Amino acid sequence: MKISYNWLQEFIDLDLSPEELADKLTLIGLEVEEIEEFGSTLEGVIVGEVLETKPHPNADRLKVCTVDLGDEKVQIVCGADNVAEGQKVPVATVGSTLPIKLDDGSFLTLKKAKLRGEESHGMICAEDELGLGTDHDGIMVLDPSLETGTPISDIFDLYQDTIIEIAITPNRPDATCHLGVARDIAAALDLELVKPAVKVPESSNTSDYSIEIESDKCHRYVGKLVKNVTIEDSPKWLQDKLTAIGLRPVNNVVDITNYVMYELGQPLHAFDFDNLNDGKIIVKEFDKEIEFETLDHIKRKCEAGTLFICDGNGPVAIAGVMGGLHSEVSDSTTNILIESAYFDPGSIRKTSKQQTLQTDASYRFERGIDPNLQAIAAQRTADLIIEVCGGEAEAGITDIHPVKTETHQLTLRKSYVNRLLGTDLSVEEIIQIVNGLELDVVSKNEDTITFEIPTFRPDLKREVDLIEEVGRLFDYNKIGSKNQGIFVSTEPLTDWELLLSKTRDVGVHLGFKEIYSNSLISQKEALNFVTEEQMIETLNPLNKDMSTMRPSLMHGFLKSASYNFNRKAETIRFFEVGNVFVQSEDATYHDGINEQTHLLFGLSGFKNTEHWTGKATPFSIFDLKSEVNAFFTKLGLAGNIKIKATDESSLTYSFKKIELGKVSTVSQTLLDVYDIEHQTYIAEFSLDKISEALTKNKAKSFTAIPKFPAFEFDFAVIVEQEISAGDLMNSIKTNAGNTLKNIDIFDVFEGKSIGEGNKSIAFRLNFIDPNKTLNIKEVEPIIQRVVKSLEKQFSAKLRS
Amino acid sequence: MLDKVEALKKEIESFPVSNSDELENFRLEFLSKNGKIQSMFKMIGQVAKEDKAAFGKSMNDLKNLAQNRFDELQSSFASSTTAERSATDDITLTAPLSPVGSLHPLTQTLEEMKSIFYRLGFTISHGPEIEDDFHNFTALNFPPNHPARDEQDTFFVRKSDDPKVDDLVLRTHTSPVQIRLMEKQKPPIRAIMPGRVYRNEAVSPKSYFLFHQVEALYVDENVSVADLKDTLITFAKLMYGNDVKYRLRPGFFPFTEPSLEMDIWWGSKEKGKWLEILGSGMVDPNVFKAAGVDPEKYTGFAWGMGVERIAILKHGIDDIRSFYENDIRFLEQFN
Repeated sequence: MKISYNWLQEFIDLDLSPEELADKLTLIGLEVEEIEEFGSTLEGVIVGEVLETKPHPNADRLKVCTVDLGDEKVQIVCGADNVAEGQKVPVATVGSTLPIKLDDGSFLTLKKAKLRGEESHGMICAEDELGLGTDHDGIMVLDPSLETGTPISDIFDLYQDTIIEIAITPNRPDATCHLGVARDIAAALDLELVKPAVKVPESSNTSDYSIEIESDKCHRYVGKLVKNVTIEDSPKWLQDKLTAIGLRPVNNVVDITNYVMYELGQPLHAFDFDNLNDGKIIVKEFDKEIEFETLDHIKRKCEAGTLFICDGNGPVAIAGVMGGLHSEVSDSTTNILIESAYFDPGSIRKTSKQQTLQTDASYRFERGIDPNLQAIAAQRTADLIIEVCGGEAEAGITDIHPVKTETHQLTLRKSYVNRLLGTDLSVEEIIQIVNGLELDVVSKNEDTITFEIPTFRPDLKREVDLIEEVGRLFDYNKIGSKNQGIFVSTEPLTDWELLLSKTRDVGVHLGFKEIYSNSLISQKEALNFVTEEQMIETLNPLNKDMSTMRPSLMHGFLKSASYNFNRKAETIRFFEVGNVFVQSEDATYHDGINEQTHLLFGLSGFKNTEHWTGKATPFSIFDLKSEVNAFFTKLGLAGNIKIKATDESSLTYSFKKIELGKVSTVSQTLLDVYDIEHQTYIAEFSLDKISEALTKNKAKSFTAIPKFPAFEFDFAVIVEQEISAGDLMNSIKTNAGNTLKNIDIFDVFEGKSIGEGNKSIAFRLNFIDPNKTLNIKEVEPIIQRVVKSLEKQFSAKLRS
Repeated sequence: MLDKVEALKKEIESFPVSNSDELENFRLEFLSKNGKIQSMFKMIGQVAKEDKAAFGKSMNDLKNLAQNRFDELQSSFASSTTAERSATDDITLTAPLSPVGSLHPLTQTLEEMKSIFYRLGFTISHGPEIEDDFHNFTALNFPPNHPARDEQDTFFVRKSDDPKVDDLVLRTHTSPVQIRLMEKQKPPIRAIMPGRVYRNEAVSPKSYFLFHQVEALYVDENVSVADLKDTLITFAKLMYGNDVKYRLRPGFFPFTEPSLEMDIWWGSKEKGKWLEILGSGMVDPNVFKAAGVDPEKYTGFAWGMGVERIAILKHGIDDIRSFYENDIRFLEQFN
């Protein structure tokens, strides 16, 4: 909300500059977003006389003028059609600043310039360029009797102000007006607050009009009739004040209702009384949708339950939001009915939202205005209308007040204040701090103070709410340190946290770059990884590209890989840790939803790019398998990981019975979807499952280095092509017994010599016995056993 | 026969060798399979039986002589002539690149924050990204008609008219983890809760529909604003340097009362400005009640801040979207 520095001065005697005031406002919770100068003293803008005008030699539309500035004659290039010899004109001289905002936020300062080759020492100004009006049709022509050289500020009544834009938090409806802001400043600076003098008359029993409230959403409706007003433009002081805070002057009556709203915080409406049928005001809801044309000429469909102000015929305004076209104050209006009401905040919020229309009035009603302000505001408006627009007001007011809001009392414990704020304030100090907020002390003792809470502070409902008032006015920056900001904690980091950080560390050590990808993807993209039944979708997506929760980290990797290949990358080596979501009976936090943290390692493109040391080589799945092996080795799980081929292109990794995830070659179909032209390999594991595996992992952290050397034995078998090395190894592991410590494959061969459709796989086995040196005699029977079962299970033949 | 051996010996000794081409000729002449020494060996059949041993020995001497001369000459060429070096012996040639792993800049910022909090005695806790209405809103003292509960602000995953079935949303902040923590752990509690959050916001250089927050919570019997202040200031100093200029000002959040925001001065003394870096406050009694903590017995402070915002400030990044594009040219600047 825009607050005028000048306006505030009407209520408080401020000794602070606008900048100092802005700092103070921010520190008491009225956060200043911007400070802006309004208007200008037009220093350096003076009266000049046009002595001569000549056409510009290089530009048809420009004229070269000689202008007498009193003590010198200068040449000025002017583009206005109406410039003529003998005119007295306002001239912005070189060095003067005009209230014209430049792109960088500063104001235009005149410099000596050359326009199409002709020198120009200043500028002859139009009305709008001086901020004196909106006219831009040519330059401003002044009274010929003015003396040249006279400052413009001597001729015009120039209005200058500083506008402070503040962000009002939702708990402070009282600060949506100048008086409310002034009250806070007065409280913080211990100043006297002078409120406008308003004498509220008794409720009258006028027969000129009637007000009826037929809905519990209207707590109060005050009407006041003013007759025989003259509708015209507002006087300059009123226009200046409203323009300064960003309002557009309309006419004197409408301007006054806006003025009082910004002064006291009460939204007001003025009806053209003669257009109100039967002189009746009825506040009511309808149980059906109503079409209604508001004064912005929009025909609005208002849902059943919308609160309306009606006359004898029907709706004349949407209560608290906007008036109707028919009863709008116009130039021919003579009699005015002022509306000053309190509407239920929830009802106004609902209507405003339904109509997507927030007005100055609805903004205030929604937040909750003072329910006891209506009569004062109506009278204040009437007083100003009579002062500005003439006419005479009815003696009393009509005040229909079915729902009354009383002030309430709140008790504050000094002990609790100090406990919560960490202060050491006395009862008297606390009273002194909040004194300016118009909180009357009802009673007090050594620990408690009971305050009467005014109705303009609906946010003060509990003791803590009052403590906030003490804190903000005391200034949080002044609360002393207890030097307790650093604590000693014996609580260790959780295993989960350690796993997350170790996972990332290992990823980095293995040379992978971490990525963060979007967790909202399109339904189509999600379908590449899960079925429709498994997908979790948001009900209100931003757009269809971001409708579904990612069921896998693969999409993010493939998308990022593709993005980088399109930008000439050759090697993709990424990892990501992030949550994935699927519908599942195996719920984690919420029914039917499984949310887990996954880890992805992905390789795509070239392991080695073209280089003099060797040819470019693309990644293979074995590169990824070896990184994954390194990862599990780092976690201490590698020895117990079982790898099983799920199909030709994917391997399932498990620990005991826990399936941890998969390493796979990305299918050509999927690569085509992402427009990737390189072989791509992805490992995706569930960290939740890995965490579970770690709790079950009994591997010792240290075992003594074996005292006896290992016995190494190599052998090769010939098997049919279809038989996988993994199956052979699993069989070897099962049959070799516990002296087998390591197994690897050192040669794979196929060729005519071993028969068409066959392959030879050579294994290297390492045996260790902790108690003795093994020799061939002990290992041979093991090998025989192993080979025999390979022969039996896979028809393998030992290759000599 | 022995004079032939003697002649060959002379020939070996006198064969002119002054460069590696001539050395190769030398090798072909004497040491190769069809060279003169091998050829002469083959003549052993023509040697008389009693001379065979002497012939064999002199032939071996001859072979050693030739081999030694060859080896000497070869090593002398290798050490004396640079011109003879292989092109790949140039150590200024480029080396192939090793893969360099890196943490995402947001992780790096988060790690920095975590390490500060860990130093301050805070542990770390986590919660789900899909959250129920109770944890995300109700328990945090959001009134039923609060704008944050609108579809314009929050992504809904499940919505039900049945009051017994809680709506599910993508959590809009990490504060629900506070509730989860207080539900399962008795005070004292001192933890931070990092994580991904979602807001239904249009994408622009300044805003994204998902981002990351870190929440901090401290609950004990006598936690005060003074403690909050001490912790905030210590954090700001560790994060932004000991001479960081800061201020605290009142703010408003449904789940804290009183609420405070912290600004730090960013930029030079003249041209800088106050920048909001975090929101904080004393845990609202209603939040304690919802989480089953006695608000008369315990007090506490909470605070939350955006990871992206801090990373953006730190690195001068101008487009928040660049965090999620994963452009290698972006990522490799944060090695």
